[in-house]
Amino acid sequence: MSKFIATVLAATMLVPVAARAEGEIEVLHHWVSQSEVDALNVIRKELEAKGFTWKDSAVGGMSGANAQQALRSRLTAGNPPGAMQFLGWEGVQWAEQGVVRDLNDLAKTGGWREALAPQLLPFVTSGDAFIAAPINMHRQNWVWANKKIFDDAGIAVPKSWTELIAAGQKLQEKGIVPIAMGDEPWQIGIIFDALLSDVNGPEFYQKTAIDLDPEALGSPEMVKVFDTLREVRGLVDNNFVGRDWAVATGMVINGEAAMQFMGDWAKGEFLAKGLKPNQDFYCFATPGQVTSFQYLIDSFGMFTVKDENVQNAQTALAETIMDPKVQKGFNLIKGSIPARSDVSVDDFDDCAKLGYQERATAIEKGSMQGAMTHGFAAKPEFASVFSDVAAQFFVGTMSSEDAVKMLVSGIDNAR
Amino acid sequence: MSASTRMSSRLAAWLPRLVVAPSLLVVIVAVYLFILWTGLISVTSSKFVPTYDFVGLEQYVRLWATPRWHTAVANLFIFSALFLALSTGLGLLMAILLDQNIRAEGALRAIYLYPMALSFIVTGTAWKWIMNPGLGIQRVVNDLGWTDFRFDWITNPDMAIYTVVVAGVWQSSGFAMAIFLAGLRGIDNSVIKAAQIEGATLPLIYRQIIIPMLRPAMLSVIVLLSYIAIKSFDLVLALTNGGPGTATELPSTFMFSATFRRNQMGVGAASAVMMLMTVAAIIIPYLYSELREKNDG
Repeated sequence: MSKFIATVLAATMLVPVAARAEGEIEVLHHWVSQSEVDALNVIRKELEAKGFTWKDSAVGGMSGANAQQALRSRLTAGNPPGAMQFLGWEGVQWAEQGVVRDLNDLAKTGGWREALAPQLLPFVTSGDAFIAAPINMHRQNWVWANKKIFDDAGIAVPKSWTELIAAGQKLQEKGIVPIAMGDEPWQIGIIFDALLSDVNGPEFYQKTAIDLDPEALGSPEMVKVFDTLREVRGLVDNNFVGRDWAVATGMVINGEAAMQFMGDWAKGEFLAKGLKPNQDFYCFATPGQVTSFQYLIDSFGMFTVKDENVQNAQTALAETIMDPKVQKGFNLIKGSIPARSDVSVDDFDDCAKLGYQERATAIEKGSMQGAMTHGFAAKPEFASVFSDVAAQFFVGTMSSEDAVKMLVSGIDNAR
Repeated sequence: MSASTRMSSRLAAWLPRLVVAPSLLVVIVAVYLFILWTGLISVTSSKFVPTYDFVGLEQYVRLWATPRWHTAVANLFIFSALFLALSTGLGLLMAILLDQNIRAEGALRAIYLYPMALSFIVTGTAWKWIMNPGLGIQRVVNDLGWTDFRFDWITNPDMAIYTVVVAGVWQSSGFAMAIFLAGLRGIDNSVIKAAQIEGATLPLIYRQIIIPMLRPAMLSVIVLLSYIAIKSFDLVLALTNGGPGTATELPSTFMFSATFRRNQMGVGAASAVMMLMTVAAIIIPYLYSELREKNDG
């Protein structure tokens, strides 16, 4: 009995004392789906093993826009969370406001800069400061295809957009929907981003989507991008309005449609049905002369706080996120690949392995670039002009020349 | 007068003001102060977070040079005008038909009023499927044998805004009907009888006597429906999510995305001020005429 009381006492007294000594950290993020929560638990468990407490603060919805709004009000009230999930330029913009903690000392001892692809640095550093720890990397420009449909029609994995469109027309004649997608601007944007690089090369993507060079934006090459986009529209069925991306993935899985352009979060839908890459479905990059790797990353930034216990917890969280073992465990569940380039993907599925290998080549060839539609190229006020024009063009009857004019004037207006 | 009664009469004079004061304060801060603040932001170069460097009317110039904003404004006018006209017209017609002493009136009234009990989200989602050419009306009619039948407004950027009108009218005309019906029941039968004795035909009685007498009901319907039209944000989000592409964007959806998703807080604030001006341009003359009538009367 006395033993029991002692245990209870120990449990009730010692644990809070320990927690207070080590500190608690509140993490604001927008991951609420099952696989996302499971993946986060990898970080959380490792952090708790180090003696810190993870206080979960999930605000889902609107691709993170709701969480951003929550953060704004928290910062205005002078009560920022310990850590926050960043997408695109968010972290850099907060760092410019002087509210993000510099993790440079950790980055130096941990060798973070060397472990990451140089293309990522603009999104995790601001000036000399290291402002966010990236956990994963998704690739936006994947094509997911139903292998049975391809085999039955005698179609091989296309090596260029001309081949892809020809294959699509062949399927259409057989009564199969060649491309499954919805009319949401970001779904259209995924194809547009891929075309910018695939049709005219990665330098063109750099000049337009990143540098916003007026000459390149208004060039005949841009007209060609829209022309190709129009051909892609011809391969989409007329019921695409209001279709969710996961419903479109379902059409490919069920054999109603042949292909979908989507980031590698679509892979989870195939795997959940027990399908295997290269046996039941194909995953391949959008075809271009130079294969591009259009990435997006999720990273966690730490806000400047006075409380030393929280600071210690921030240090521990940043180190946990950059731990190769954690990056591997997290990404095996999330479906992405580790943000660190030096983590082996031997235990991953074939699509992840292909992505990992193509990332290495793309870094060499300069075709690893941020995905504009997900906020990793031009700043949001410009990226949204691209997505507006591409979406209006795609659903309507605008000519390619008019679309280019609209794009040039829209970008000028946002400058 | 004793001191205590003076105290209590003073309290009686002040108590209503004291009770109203907190809510008044909240309204002043949460509504008027933020209206002023939004106006202030609209003349600054604010992007990601508010900044206070004044750039004059630059954000308004930028706003009116944005094609997406033009779509939004045009859509608001098309939607509000058609929604108001159709809901009021259909509501009045249904009320007159129901008013002819018919059987099962109670049940019919409940059926017509029922859509009002649904949220716009439910209406939007249901109509999204009904109007999808591959799932809804077009599919059903095609399967029945009329293979040429087309009803694909929702996929056509030029017609999509009318699908929002259809769904909105479906939801709100029953409500207009209920108010008109109440108005019709309030009309004295002897007026109609007198007209009948004079030999007026039924259509003439409705046109010349009953509908003019429904003016107060008409006013309430129009005020309530305009307010529903302005807050129809959720209907658009559920029905078309602003699509196809950006074809069914409304000023409210524009303002939200500019401010919170596109780093254009200044443009967002400018669009909010434009919306306020539009509403004020309608409401102020209305309030003015209403108040003046009261003073005269």
